[in-house]
Amino acid sequence: MAKAILFDSTKCTACRGCQVACKQWNNLEAEETVNTGTYENPPDLSSRTWLKMRFIEPPDGDGKVWLFSRRACMHCTEAGCVKVCPTGAVYHHEEGFVAYNKDICSGCGYCVDACPFDVPRMVGSTLTGKKKMEKCVFCADRVANEEKPACVKTCPTGALIYGERTEMVDLAEQRVSKLAADGVDAQLYGKDELDGLHVLYVLAHSPKDYKLPVNPEVSPSVTLWQDILKVMGYAAVGAVAGGLLLNYMVARARMVKEKEGK
Amino acid sequence: MAHHEVERFSAGARLFHWTVTITAIVLAITGLFLWVPAFGSLAEDSYSRIIHRVAAVILVAAPLLFFISRPGRALHFVKYIFTWGKDDIEWLKAAPDYYFGGDEKKMPPQGEMNTGQKLWSLVAFLSVIGFVVSGAIMWFAKASIPAELFLWVTIIHDLCFIVSASMTLVHLYLGAIHPRMTESLKSMLKGKVSVEYAKHHHGKWYAEISKGKETDNKQAPSTH
Repeated sequence: MAKAILFDSTKCTACRGCQVACKQWNNLEAEETVNTGTYENPPDLSSRTWLKMRFIEPPDGDGKVWLFSRRACMHCTEAGCVKVCPTGAVYHHEEGFVAYNKDICSGCGYCVDACPFDVPRMVGSTLTGKKKMEKCVFCADRVANEEKPACVKTCPTGALIYGERTEMVDLAEQRVSKLAADGVDAQLYGKDELDGLHVLYVLAHSPKDYKLPVNPEVSPSVTLWQDILKVMGYAAVGAVAGGLLLNYMVARARMVKEKEGK
Repeated sequence: MAHHEVERFSAGARLFHWTVTITAIVLAITGLFLWVPAFGSLAEDSYSRIIHRVAAVILVAAPLLFFISRPGRALHFVKYIFTWGKDDIEWLKAAPDYYFGGDEKKMPPQGEMNTGQKLWSLVAFLSVIGFVVSGAIMWFAKASIPAELFLWVTIIHDLCFIVSASMTLVHLYLGAIHPRMTESLKSMLKGKVSVEYAKHHHGKWYAEISKGKETDNKQAPSTH
């Protein structure tokens, strides 16, 4: 049964407890950053920041709108990273989310460029290419032991909930209708995007305002590369090898005939 | 006459050929680790990538060294493989009959390289450029270029592989396996071919190199 994390932006106070809990449970070092005049910190995801809160003031909000959004792996069903991973290090867990076996990661970094949400990060040497990918792992170890992911466990306001995905979808839809009844332009994000994300968002504005991609998709070039080009490669090499074998048999038979004729 | 041999490949050319051969094989194998899912586990922990990159540096260095040490010869090669004429078209038309049936009547006389060898050299030359440019971008610019561009660069790298790997099979086959190409592999190992082979397979070239030297060999070189 697929699990999901439900993030309700209307209940989030941006305390960033989830950010800290993520680092604490996953043993991720803190980052030294500079004050850029916002509470948002660190500035971006990194190999040791798998989850961060975004503080957004949409340009048309007249300075009165302050949105908080969760930025981490979305655990897509149609996952670009899983599609391009050559070693199977990034894979779909039986509970639906995108798990990651760091031991068998080859460090190619294809997942980074195949991700529609710009989530995976690489750590290692650019010169040698000895690298590993890092991203949110849905606290697979906790989940396997029937514990909530660390970010959900620590959330003090109930903005993060964890459970069966179907139940989370129901809950989110109820919440959206209630907010709509209160006059909020609320919507659910992640129910159908990329065949269903395993992180669902209840939003009080458009996804664009939360800097979430509207209609995210795995790039067509990923499909061209993985589904067409690879098959073409096997076909081309196979056809050439077959042609050469045929040539060998015909040419050989011909030469034997010539010899016999002499 | 049967013992007479002519030099076909200099020691430097042979060293270059086999350096590139070994390098290309290493690059192909380590590259395939990321292509064929069954080999994926061999790429774990990036060691195959380190080998791939060392080989890549050699693949760039070898032609550069060749160019620096023998600029005239290198330029001649590049010019040669880009020069195509009527004989090449005739050769391509006649080749299937020859390589399958041994019918050599329509094969036009060939120079230092025959049309097939020229075609292969052209594919090798262009695909190495494709590999090096796309590979350098994947190596050094991955973090600084847009994701979509990186995907396309990877596609180009893979496309170069499909084309060059297919042609490598043909090259390997014609050089070492085809029953009529009796001295091709030997020439790249020892550098020499028999006069008969040179006349028979590279008539125009043999006429050029033997001009003024072998007055006893006046008969017109035969085909291909």
